[in-house]
Amino acid sequence: MGKKMSTVEAVTTGPRVIGRQTLVRLTLYYVGAGLILLVLTALFPGGGVSVPQTPAPTELTDAIPWLRSRMAVLPSGAPLWVDALVQMLSGLLLVLPIAFVYVRTRTRQRYDQSLIQTVVMLPIVVTAILVVVRDSLALAFSLAGIVAAVRFRNTLKESGDAVYIFGSIGLGFATGIHAIGVAMTLSVLFVVLELTLWRLDLGAEFEQTFTRLCLPSRGDWAALARPSYGTKGTDRTDRERPGPPRGDGAVALRIYVEHSDAAQPAVEAVLKRDAKRWSLTKVAAEDGGLSVLEYRARPRKRVGLGGLRDRLLQEGTPHVIAVDEADRSA
Amino acid sequence: MSLLSPPLADRDHLRGSADARVTLVEYGDFECPACGEAYPVLREVRKAFGENLRFAFRHFPLVISHPHALVAAEAAEAAAAQGKFWPMHDRLFEHQDALDDRALTRHARKIGLDLDQFESALASRVYEARVREDLASGQASGLLGTPGLFINRVLYTGVRDRASLVAALAQAAVKAKVL
Repeated sequence: MGKKMSTVEAVTTGPRVIGRQTLVRLTLYYVGAGLILLVLTALFPGGGVSVPQTPAPTELTDAIPWLRSRMAVLPSGAPLWVDALVQMLSGLLLVLPIAFVYVRTRTRQRYDQSLIQTVVMLPIVVTAILVVVRDSLALAFSLAGIVAAVRFRNTLKESGDAVYIFGSIGLGFATGIHAIGVAMTLSVLFVVLELTLWRLDLGAEFEQTFTRLCLPSRGDWAALARPSYGTKGTDRTDRERPGPPRGDGAVALRIYVEHSDAAQPAVEAVLKRDAKRWSLTKVAAEDGGLSVLEYRARPRKRVGLGGLRDRLLQEGTPHVIAVDEADRSA
Repeated sequence: MSLLSPPLADRDHLRGSADARVTLVEYGDFECPACGEAYPVLREVRKAFGENLRFAFRHFPLVISHPHALVAAEAAEAAAAQGKFWPMHDRLFEHQDALDDRALTRHARKIGLDLDQFESALASRVYEARVREDLASGQASGLLGTPGLFINRVLYTGVRDRASLVAALAQAAVKAKVL
Protein backbone atom coordinates (compact mmCIF):
# COMPACT_ATOMS: atom_id res chain seq x y z
CA MET A 1 0.00 0.00 0.00
CA GLY A 2 2.82 2.30 0.94
CA LYS A 3 4.48 1.64 -2.36
CA LYS A 4 1.27 2.42 -4.20
CA MET A 5 0.90 5.76 -2.48
CA SER A 6 4.48 6.61 -3.29
CA THR A 7 3.89 5.94 -6.95
CA VAL A 8 0.83 8.15 -6.98
CA GLU A 9 2.69 10.97 -5.32
CA ALA A 10 5.54 10.72 -7.74
CA VAL A 11 3.31 11.86 -10.53
CA THR A 12 1.47 14.54 -8.65
CA THR A 13 4.23 16.71 -7.39
CA GLY A 14 7.82 17.57 -7.77
CA PRO A 15 10.33 18.32 -10.43
CA ARG A 16 10.31 16.98 -13.97
CA VAL A 17 12.71 14.13 -13.59
CA ILE A 18 12.84 10.93 -15.60
CA GLY A 19 14.54 8.29 -13.49
CA ARG A 20 17.22 6.06 -14.94
CA GLN A 21 15.14 3.08 -13.89
CA THR A 22 12.22 4.35 -15.95
CA LEU A 23 14.38 4.64 -19.03
CA VAL A 24 15.85 1.17 -18.51
CA ARG A 25 12.39 -0.32 -18.04
CA LEU A 26 11.06 1.39 -21.15
CA THR A 27 14.02 0.20 -23.20
CA LEU A 28 13.67 -3.36 -21.93
CA TYR A 29 9.97 -3.23 -22.63
CA TYR A 30 10.54 -2.18 -26.24
CA VAL A 31 13.20 -4.83 -26.76
CA GLY A 32 10.86 -7.46 -25.31
CA ALA A 33 7.90 -6.18 -27.32
CA GLY A 34 10.01 -6.17 -30.49
CA LEU A 35 11.01 -9.78 -29.94
CA ILE A 36 7.44 -10.85 -29.21
CA LEU A 37 6.21 -9.11 -32.35
CA LEU A 38 8.93 -10.71 -34.46
CA VAL A 39 8.00 -14.14 -33.17
CA LEU A 40 4.26 -13.53 -33.54
CA THR A 41 4.55 -12.30 -37.12
CA ALA A 42 6.84 -15.21 -37.95
CA LEU A 43 4.51 -17.77 -36.41
CA PHE A 44 1.38 -16.32 -37.95
CA PRO A 45 2.25 -14.62 -41.23
CA GLY A 46 -0.71 -12.42 -42.05
CA GLY A 47 -2.08 -10.25 -44.78
CA GLY A 48 -3.20 -13.23 -46.85
CA VAL A 49 0.39 -13.87 -47.83
CA SER A 50 1.65 -17.41 -47.77
CA VAL A 51 5.26 -17.95 -46.81
CA PRO A 52 7.21 -19.81 -49.50
CA GLN A 53 9.31 -22.69 -48.32
CA THR A 54 12.76 -21.36 -49.12
CA PRO A 55 15.81 -23.59 -49.28
CA ALA A 56 18.41 -23.47 -46.54
CA PRO A 57 20.23 -20.14 -46.77
CA THR A 58 23.65 -19.86 -48.24
CA GLU A 59 23.96 -16.19 -47.44
CA LEU A 60 23.15 -14.29 -44.29
CA THR A 61 20.53 -12.13 -46.01
CA ASP A 62 18.47 -15.23 -46.81
CA ALA A 63 18.53 -16.40 -43.22
CA ILE A 64 15.54 -14.40 -41.99
CA PRO A 65 13.09 -15.46 -44.76
CA TRP A 66 14.26 -19.04 -44.31
CA LEU A 67 13.80 -18.83 -40.54
CA ARG A 68 10.33 -17.36 -40.96
CA SER A 69 9.35 -20.10 -43.38
CA ARG A 70 10.57 -22.72 -40.92
CA MET A 71 8.82 -21.08 -37.97
CA ALA A 72 5.45 -20.39 -39.58
CA VAL A 73 2.69 -22.37 -37.92
CA LEU A 74 0.40 -21.49 -40.78
CA PRO A 75 2.68 -21.12 -43.81
CA SER A 76 -0.21 -20.67 -46.20
CA GLY A 77 -1.37 -17.59 -44.33
CA ALA A 78 -3.27 -17.22 -41.05
CA PRO A 79 -7.06 -17.09 -41.06
CA LEU A 80 -8.51 -13.60 -40.88
CA TRP A 81 -9.39 -13.76 -37.20
CA VAL A 82 -5.91 -14.97 -36.19
CA ASP A 83 -4.37 -12.30 -38.37
CA ALA A 84 -6.61 -9.66 -36.77
CA LEU A 85 -5.78 -10.93 -33.29
CA VAL A 86 -2.05 -10.71 -33.94
CA GLN A 87 -2.40 -7.17 -35.25
CA MET A 88 -4.56 -6.11 -32.33
CA LEU A 89 -2.10 -7.59 -29.84
CA SER A 90 0.69 -5.73 -31.63
CA GLY A 91 -1.26 -2.49 -31.28
CA LEU A 92 -1.89 -3.19 -27.60
CA LEU A 93 1.77 -3.96 -26.91
CA LEU A 94 2.94 -0.77 -28.56
CA VAL A 95 0.35 1.57 -27.07
CA LEU A 96 1.06 0.64 -23.44
CA PRO A 97 4.26 2.73 -23.22
CA ILE A 98 2.30 5.69 -24.62
CA ALA A 99 -0.30 5.24 -21.89
CA PHE A 100 2.50 5.03 -19.33
CA VAL A 101 4.00 8.28 -20.60
CA TYR A 102 0.61 9.95 -20.27
CA VAL A 103 0.40 8.96 -16.61
CA ARG A 104 4.00 9.96 -15.93
CA THR A 105 3.72 13.39 -17.47
CA ARG A 106 0.42 14.43 -15.96
CA THR A 107 -0.30 15.80 -12.52
CA ARG A 108 -3.26 14.50 -10.58
CA GLN A 109 -5.35 17.51 -11.56
CA ARG A 110 -4.56 17.15 -15.25
CA TYR A 111 -4.91 13.39 -15.27
CA ASP A 112 -7.89 11.87 -17.04
CA GLN A 113 -8.48 8.19 -16.41
CA SER A 114 -10.95 7.78 -19.27
CA LEU A 115 -8.33 9.08 -21.68
CA ILE A 116 -5.93 6.33 -20.61
CA GLN A 117 -8.54 3.69 -21.30
CA THR A 118 -9.38 5.33 -24.62
CA VAL A 119 -5.74 5.46 -25.66
CA VAL A 120 -5.27 1.77 -24.81
CA MET A 121 -8.45 0.64 -26.57
CA LEU A 122 -8.22 2.78 -29.71
CA PRO A 123 -5.51 0.82 -31.58
CA ILE A 124 -7.49 -2.39 -31.12
CA VAL A 125 -10.68 -0.83 -32.44
CA VAL A 126 -8.97 0.95 -35.32
CA THR A 127 -7.12 -2.25 -36.26
CA ALA A 128 -10.40 -4.18 -36.27
CA ILE A 129 -12.01 -1.55 -38.49
CA LEU A 130 -9.12 -1.67 -40.95
CA VAL A 131 -9.17 -5.47 -41.01
CA VAL A 132 -12.87 -5.36 -41.86
CA VAL A 133 -12.67 -2.52 -44.37
CA ARG A 134 -9.46 -3.68 -46.07
CA ASP A 135 -9.63 -2.65 -49.73
CA SER A 136 -13.40 -2.38 -49.94
CA LEU A 137 -14.46 1.08 -51.08
CA ALA A 138 -18.09 0.26 -50.28
CA LEU A 139 -17.23 -0.66 -46.70
CA ALA A 140 -15.13 2.47 -46.34
CA PHE A 141 -18.08 4.62 -47.41
CA SER A 142 -20.33 2.73 -45.01
CA LEU A 143 -17.88 3.39 -42.21
CA ALA A 144 -17.79 7.08 -43.07
CA GLY A 145 -21.59 7.12 -42.97
CA ILE A 146 -21.67 5.44 -39.57
CA VAL A 147 -19.05 7.81 -38.16
CA ALA A 148 -20.98 10.80 -39.49
CA ALA A 149 -24.17 9.52 -37.85
CA VAL A 150 -22.63 9.21 -34.42
CA ARG A 151 -21.80 12.38 -32.59
CA PHE A 152 -18.53 12.40 -30.74
CA ARG A 153 -18.42 15.27 -28.38
CA ASN A 154 -15.90 15.23 -25.65
CA THR A 155 -13.99 18.09 -24.14
CA LEU A 156 -10.42 17.07 -23.51
CA LYS A 157 -8.78 18.40 -20.36
CA GLU A 158 -6.06 19.96 -22.45
CA SER A 159 -5.10 20.16 -26.07
CA GLY A 160 -2.05 17.98 -25.52
CA ASP A 161 -4.40 15.06 -24.79
CA ALA A 162 -5.52 15.12 -28.43
CA VAL A 163 -1.99 14.12 -29.44
CA TYR A 164 -2.38 10.91 -27.46
CA ILE A 165 -5.66 10.17 -29.20
CA PHE A 166 -4.13 10.79 -32.63
CA GLY A 167 -1.03 8.80 -31.69
CA SER A 168 -3.20 5.91 -30.65
CA ILE A 169 -5.25 6.08 -33.86
CA GLY A 170 -2.05 6.25 -35.92
CA LEU A 171 -0.77 3.17 -34.13
CA GLY A 172 -4.01 1.34 -34.88
CA PHE A 173 -3.75 2.30 -38.54
CA ALA A 174 -0.19 1.03 -38.75
CA THR A 175 -0.92 -2.31 -37.10
CA GLY A 176 -4.15 -2.60 -39.11
CA ILE A 177 -2.19 -2.65 -42.37
CA HIS A 178 0.58 -4.94 -41.06
CA ALA A 179 3.03 -2.06 -40.84
CA ILE A 180 4.37 -3.24 -37.48
CA GLY A 181 7.69 -1.52 -38.12
CA VAL A 182 5.92 1.80 -38.62
CA ALA A 183 3.88 1.21 -35.48
CA MET A 184 7.02 0.45 -33.49
CA THR A 185 8.75 3.57 -34.82
CA LEU A 186 5.73 5.70 -34.01
CA SER A 187 5.48 4.32 -30.49
CA VAL A 188 9.17 4.76 -29.68
CA LEU A 189 9.38 8.23 -31.21
CA PHE A 190 6.18 9.32 -29.49
CA VAL A 191 7.43 8.17 -26.10
CA VAL A 192 10.89 9.70 -26.51
CA LEU A 193 9.58 13.02 -27.79
CA GLU A 194 6.81 13.32 -25.24
CA LEU A 195 9.14 12.56 -22.33
CA THR A 196 11.74 14.97 -23.69
CA LEU A 197 9.25 17.80 -24.15
CA TRP A 198 7.87 17.19 -20.68
CA ARG A 199 11.34 17.03 -19.15
CA LEU A 200 12.43 20.27 -20.79
CA ASP A 201 9.08 21.91 -20.07
CA LEU A 202 9.38 23.39 -23.52
CA GLY A 203 7.72 26.74 -23.98
CA ALA A 204 6.77 27.21 -20.31
CA GLU A 205 8.93 30.29 -19.92
CA PHE A 206 7.39 32.26 -22.70
CA GLU A 207 8.82 35.60 -21.73
CA GLN A 208 12.28 34.23 -21.14
CA THR A 209 12.28 32.35 -24.44
CA PHE A 210 10.89 35.38 -26.24
CA THR A 211 13.46 37.68 -24.73
CA ARG A 212 16.32 35.37 -25.57
CA LEU A 213 15.30 34.29 -29.01
CA CYS A 214 13.23 37.05 -30.48
CA LEU A 215 14.24 40.57 -31.24
CA PRO A 216 11.48 42.98 -30.29
CA SER A 217 9.73 44.66 -33.16
CA ARG A 218 9.11 48.39 -33.34
CA GLY A 219 5.64 47.79 -31.92
CA ASP A 220 7.11 45.92 -28.98
CA TRP A 221 9.46 48.78 -28.19
CA ALA A 222 6.56 51.21 -28.33
CA ALA A 223 4.54 49.02 -25.98
CA LEU A 224 7.47 48.76 -23.59
CA ALA A 225 7.83 52.54 -23.51
CA ARG A 226 4.20 53.04 -22.50
CA PRO A 227 3.54 52.91 -18.74
CA SER A 228 0.96 50.19 -18.36
CA TYR A 229 0.67 49.91 -14.60
CA GLY A 230 1.17 51.93 -11.46
CA THR A 231 4.58 52.51 -9.97
CA LYS A 232 4.76 52.45 -6.22
CA GLY A 233 1.10 53.37 -6.16
CA THR A 234 -0.93 53.11 -3.03
CA ASP A 235 -4.09 54.81 -4.20
CA ARG A 236 -7.20 52.69 -4.43
CA THR A 237 -7.33 52.85 -8.21
CA ASP A 238 -4.28 50.62 -8.30
CA ARG A 239 -6.56 47.77 -7.32
CA GLU A 240 -8.23 47.97 -10.67
CA ARG A 241 -5.13 48.26 -12.78
CA PRO A 242 -3.64 45.25 -14.39
CA GLY A 243 -0.35 44.13 -12.91
CA PRO A 244 3.01 44.61 -14.53
CA PRO A 245 3.39 42.59 -17.68
CA ARG A 246 5.17 39.30 -17.25
CA GLY A 247 8.78 38.98 -18.24
CA ASP A 248 9.94 42.23 -16.61
CA GLY A 249 11.26 40.58 -13.48
CA ALA A 250 7.95 40.88 -11.69
CA VAL A 251 6.62 37.95 -9.72
CA ALA A 252 3.12 37.11 -8.61
CA LEU A 253 2.96 36.98 -4.84
CA ARG A 254 0.17 35.35 -2.92
CA ILE A 255 0.18 36.70 0.61
CA TYR A 256 -1.94 34.86 3.18
CA VAL A 257 -3.06 37.26 5.87
CA GLU A 258 -5.38 37.53 8.79
CA HIS A 259 -7.38 40.77 9.07
CA SER A 260 -6.64 42.06 5.59
CA ASP A 261 -7.48 45.66 6.51
CA ALA A 262 -4.67 45.73 9.02
CA ALA A 263 -2.33 43.57 6.98
CA GLN A 264 -2.55 45.45 3.71
CA PRO A 265 -0.90 48.71 4.88
CA ALA A 266 1.93 46.74 6.48
CA VAL A 267 2.46 44.71 3.32
CA GLU A 268 2.34 47.74 1.09
CA ALA A 269 4.80 49.63 3.27
CA VAL A 270 7.32 46.86 2.63
CA LEU A 271 6.54 46.76 -1.07
CA LYS A 272 6.86 50.52 -1.32
CA ARG A 273 10.36 50.31 0.11
CA ASP A 274 11.66 47.02 -1.30
CA ALA A 275 9.92 46.64 -4.65
CA LYS A 276 10.71 48.62 -7.70
CA ARG A 277 7.18 48.25 -9.00
CA TRP A 278 4.16 46.59 -7.57
CA SER A 279 0.42 46.45 -7.86
CA LEU A 280 -2.40 44.71 -6.07
CA THR A 281 -4.16 42.36 -8.44
CA LYS A 282 -6.68 40.56 -6.26
CA VAL A 283 -8.03 40.32 -2.75
CA ALA A 284 -9.77 37.07 -1.92
CA ALA A 285 -11.48 36.26 1.37
CA GLU A 286 -11.15 32.65 2.48
CA ASP A 287 -12.80 30.78 5.34
CA GLY A 288 -12.16 31.56 8.98
CA GLY A 289 -10.91 35.14 8.57
CA LEU A 290 -8.09 34.21 6.20
CA SER A 291 -7.55 36.47 3.19
CA VAL A 292 -5.23 36.19 0.24
CA LEU A 293 -3.72 39.37 -1.16
CA GLU A 294 -2.30 38.87 -4.61
CA TYR A 295 0.33 41.28 -5.84
CA ARG A 296 2.56 41.50 -8.84
CA ALA A 297 5.83 42.96 -7.71
CA ARG A 298 9.32 43.43 -8.96
CA PRO A 299 11.72 43.19 -6.01
CA ARG A 300 14.64 45.56 -5.88
CA LYS A 301 17.85 43.86 -6.95
CA ARG A 302 19.58 44.40 -3.64
CA VAL A 303 16.68 42.75 -1.83
CA GLY A 304 15.77 39.90 -4.17
CA LEU A 305 12.69 37.74 -3.96
CA GLY A 306 13.89 35.87 -0.88
CA GLY A 307 14.66 39.10 0.94
CA LEU A 308 11.32 40.61 0.01
CA ARG A 309 9.51 37.53 1.26
CA ASP A 310 11.42 37.54 4.56
CA ARG A 311 10.71 41.21 5.13
CA LEU A 312 7.03 40.78 4.36
CA LEU A 313 6.88 37.97 6.90
CA GLN A 314 8.84 39.85 9.55
CA GLU A 315 7.27 43.25 9.19
CA GLY A 316 3.82 41.91 8.50
CA THR A 317 3.71 40.08 11.84
CA PRO A 318 1.24 39.15 13.25
CA HIS A 319 -1.08 39.53 10.28
CA VAL A 320 0.99 37.99 7.50
CA ILE A 321 0.99 34.21 7.75
CA ALA A 322 2.69 33.17 4.51
CA VAL A 323 4.14 34.67 1.36
CA ASP A 324 4.05 32.33 -1.58
CA GLU A 325 5.12 32.88 -5.13
CA ALA A 326 2.08 32.09 -7.24
CA ASP A 327 2.52 29.30 -9.76
CA ARG A 328 3.73 30.41 -13.15
CA SER A 329 0.73 28.79 -14.73
CA ALA A 330 -1.67 30.71 -12.51
CA MET B 1 -9.68 11.83 11.06
CA SER B 2 -6.18 10.50 11.76
CA LEU B 3 -4.25 12.29 14.48
CA LEU B 4 -0.54 12.40 15.04
CA SER B 5 0.32 10.08 17.86
CA PRO B 6 2.32 10.71 19.97
CA PRO B 7 2.45 14.52 19.61
CA LEU B 8 5.76 16.26 19.02
CA ALA B 9 8.22 16.08 21.86
CA ASP B 10 11.85 16.90 22.60
CA ARG B 11 13.01 13.70 20.91
CA ASP B 12 11.71 14.92 17.54
CA HIS B 13 13.78 16.69 14.93
CA LEU B 14 12.37 20.18 14.61
CA ARG B 15 13.01 23.13 12.36
CA GLY B 16 11.53 26.50 13.17
CA SER B 17 10.30 28.27 16.24
CA ALA B 18 8.33 26.59 19.02
CA ASP B 19 6.03 29.63 18.89
CA ALA B 20 5.21 29.04 15.24
CA ARG B 21 1.56 29.38 14.31
CA VAL B 22 1.36 26.07 12.50
CA THR B 23 3.21 22.78 12.67
CA LEU B 24 3.91 20.43 9.81
CA VAL B 25 5.15 16.93 10.49
CA GLU B 26 6.50 14.75 7.71
CA TYR B 27 6.85 11.02 7.94
CA GLY B 28 9.39 10.25 5.28
CA ASP B 29 11.62 7.62 3.78
CA PHE B 30 14.98 8.72 2.39
CA GLU B 31 14.80 6.22 -0.46
CA CYS B 32 11.20 6.88 -1.44
CA PRO B 33 11.00 8.74 -4.79
CA ALA B 34 7.79 10.47 -3.77
CA CYS B 35 9.48 11.81 -0.63
CA GLY B 36 12.35 12.96 -2.82
CA GLU B 37 9.92 14.84 -4.99
CA ALA B 38 8.13 16.27 -1.96
CA TYR B 39 11.44 17.51 -0.51
CA PRO B 40 11.82 20.63 -2.70
CA VAL B 41 8.11 21.34 -2.36
CA LEU B 42 8.35 21.28 1.44
CA ARG B 43 11.48 23.43 1.31
CA GLU B 44 9.54 26.07 -0.63
CA VAL B 45 6.63 25.78 1.78
CA ARG B 46 8.99 26.39 4.71
CA LYS B 47 10.35 29.48 2.95
CA ALA B 48 6.81 30.75 2.37
CA PHE B 49 6.02 30.62 6.09
CA GLY B 50 9.34 31.58 7.63
CA GLU B 51 9.10 31.59 11.40
CA ASN B 52 5.36 30.98 11.24
CA LEU B 53 5.95 27.30 10.49
CA ARG B 54 7.53 24.62 12.62
CA PHE B 55 8.58 21.59 10.64
CA ALA B 56 9.31 18.16 12.06
CA PHE B 57 10.58 15.00 10.42
CA ARG B 58 9.91 11.46 11.54
CA HIS B 59 11.18 8.30 9.92
CA PHE B 60 8.88 5.97 8.05
CA PRO B 61 11.25 3.68 6.13
CA LEU B 62 9.41 1.32 3.81
CA VAL B 63 11.95 -1.42 4.39
CA ILE B 64 10.44 -3.98 2.03
CA SER B 65 10.45 -1.83 -1.09
CA HIS B 66 13.42 0.36 -0.17
CA PRO B 67 16.40 -1.70 0.99
CA HIS B 68 18.53 1.31 1.99
CA ALA B 69 15.79 3.26 3.73
CA LEU B 70 16.39 1.91 7.23
CA VAL B 71 20.14 2.38 7.24
CA ALA B 72 19.71 5.87 5.74
CA ALA B 73 17.34 6.74 8.56
CA GLU B 74 19.87 5.41 11.06
CA ALA B 75 22.55 7.52 9.37
CA ALA B 76 20.37 10.59 9.86
CA GLU B 77 20.03 9.70 13.53
CA ALA B 78 23.77 9.17 13.82
CA ALA B 79 24.21 12.64 12.34
CA ALA B 80 21.63 13.97 14.80
CA ALA B 81 23.80 12.63 17.63
CA GLN B 82 26.48 14.99 16.37
CA GLY B 83 24.00 17.86 15.98
CA LYS B 84 23.73 17.58 12.21
CA PHE B 85 20.41 15.93 11.54
CA TRP B 86 19.13 18.56 9.10
CA PRO B 87 22.28 18.77 6.94
CA MET B 88 22.20 14.97 6.67
CA HIS B 89 18.44 14.99 6.02
CA ASP B 90 18.90 17.47 3.17
CA ARG B 91 21.87 15.63 1.74
CA LEU B 92 20.12 12.26 1.77
CA PHE B 93 17.11 13.64 -0.06
CA GLU B 94 19.37 15.37 -2.55
CA HIS B 95 21.30 12.13 -3.21
CA GLN B 96 18.58 9.51 -3.08
CA ASP B 97 20.40 7.35 -5.60
CA ALA B 98 23.44 7.04 -3.31
CA LEU B 99 22.39 5.48 -0.04
CA ASP B 100 24.63 2.43 0.32
CA ASP B 101 27.13 2.21 3.18
CA ARG B 102 29.99 3.76 1.25
CA ALA B 103 27.80 6.65 0.05
CA LEU B 104 26.53 7.27 3.57
CA THR B 105 30.10 7.57 4.82
CA ARG B 106 30.77 9.99 1.99
CA HIS B 107 27.76 12.08 2.99
CA ALA B 108 28.91 12.03 6.62
CA ARG B 109 32.36 13.27 5.57
CA LYS B 110 30.84 15.96 3.40
CA ILE B 111 28.77 17.44 6.21
CA GLY B 112 31.69 17.24 8.63
CA LEU B 113 30.75 14.41 10.94
CA ASP B 114 33.20 12.50 13.09
CA LEU B 115 33.52 9.43 10.87
CA ASP B 116 34.64 6.97 13.55
CA GLN B 117 31.67 7.81 15.70
CA PHE B 118 29.33 7.74 12.71
CA GLU B 119 30.51 4.39 11.37
CA SER B 120 30.52 2.73 14.76
CA ALA B 121 26.95 3.94 15.36
CA LEU B 122 25.86 2.44 12.06
CA ALA B 123 27.74 -0.81 12.60
CA SER B 124 26.25 -1.36 16.04
CA ARG B 125 22.75 -0.34 14.87
CA VAL B 126 22.41 1.98 17.85
CA TYR B 127 19.62 3.99 16.29
CA GLU B 128 17.52 1.24 14.77
CA ALA B 129 15.18 1.20 17.75
CA ARG B 130 14.75 4.98 17.52
CA VAL B 131 13.83 4.73 13.84
CA ARG B 132 11.43 1.87 14.48
CA GLU B 133 9.74 3.95 17.19
CA ASP B 134 9.03 6.59 14.57
CA LEU B 135 7.77 3.92 12.20
CA ALA B 136 5.43 2.54 14.87
CA SER B 137 4.17 6.03 15.69
CA GLY B 138 3.40 6.59 12.00
CA GLN B 139 1.44 3.37 11.84
CA ALA B 140 -0.38 4.29 15.06
CA SER B 141 -1.23 7.65 13.48
CA GLY B 142 -2.99 5.92 10.60
CA LEU B 143 -0.28 6.36 8.03
CA LEU B 144 -0.21 3.97 5.08
CA GLY B 145 2.53 5.38 2.91
CA THR B 146 5.05 8.09 2.39
CA PRO B 147 5.32 10.98 2.48
CA GLY B 148 2.79 11.34 5.31
CA LEU B 149 2.04 14.87 6.36
CA PHE B 150 0.33 16.08 9.49
CA ILE B 151 -0.77 19.69 9.86
CA ASN B 152 -1.26 20.63 13.49
CA ARG B 153 -1.53 16.91 14.33
CA VAL B 154 -4.16 16.19 11.67
CA LEU B 155 -3.31 13.96 8.72
CA TYR B 156 -3.28 15.99 5.52
CA THR B 157 -4.92 14.13 2.67
CA GLY B 158 -5.06 16.87 0.06
CA VAL B 159 -2.91 17.46 -2.99
CA ARG B 160 0.76 17.85 -2.13
CA ASP B 161 1.75 20.62 -4.47
CA ARG B 162 3.16 23.80 -3.01
CA ALA B 163 0.12 26.01 -3.53
CA SER B 164 -2.30 23.52 -1.95
CA LEU B 165 -0.01 22.89 1.00
CA VAL B 166 0.56 26.59 1.66
CA ALA B 167 -3.19 27.23 1.51
CA ALA B 168 -3.93 24.33 3.88
CA LEU B 169 -1.24 25.40 6.34
CA ALA B 170 -2.42 29.04 6.29
CA GLN B 171 -5.97 27.88 6.94
CA ALA B 172 -4.75 25.72 9.80
CA ALA B 173 -2.76 28.63 11.24
CA VAL B 174 -5.86 30.80 11.36
CA LYS B 175 -8.04 28.04 12.78
CA ALA B 176 -5.51 27.25 15.48
CA LYS B 177 -5.66 30.86 16.61
CA VAL B 178 -9.45 30.84 16.68
CA LEU B 179 -9.48 27.64 18.76
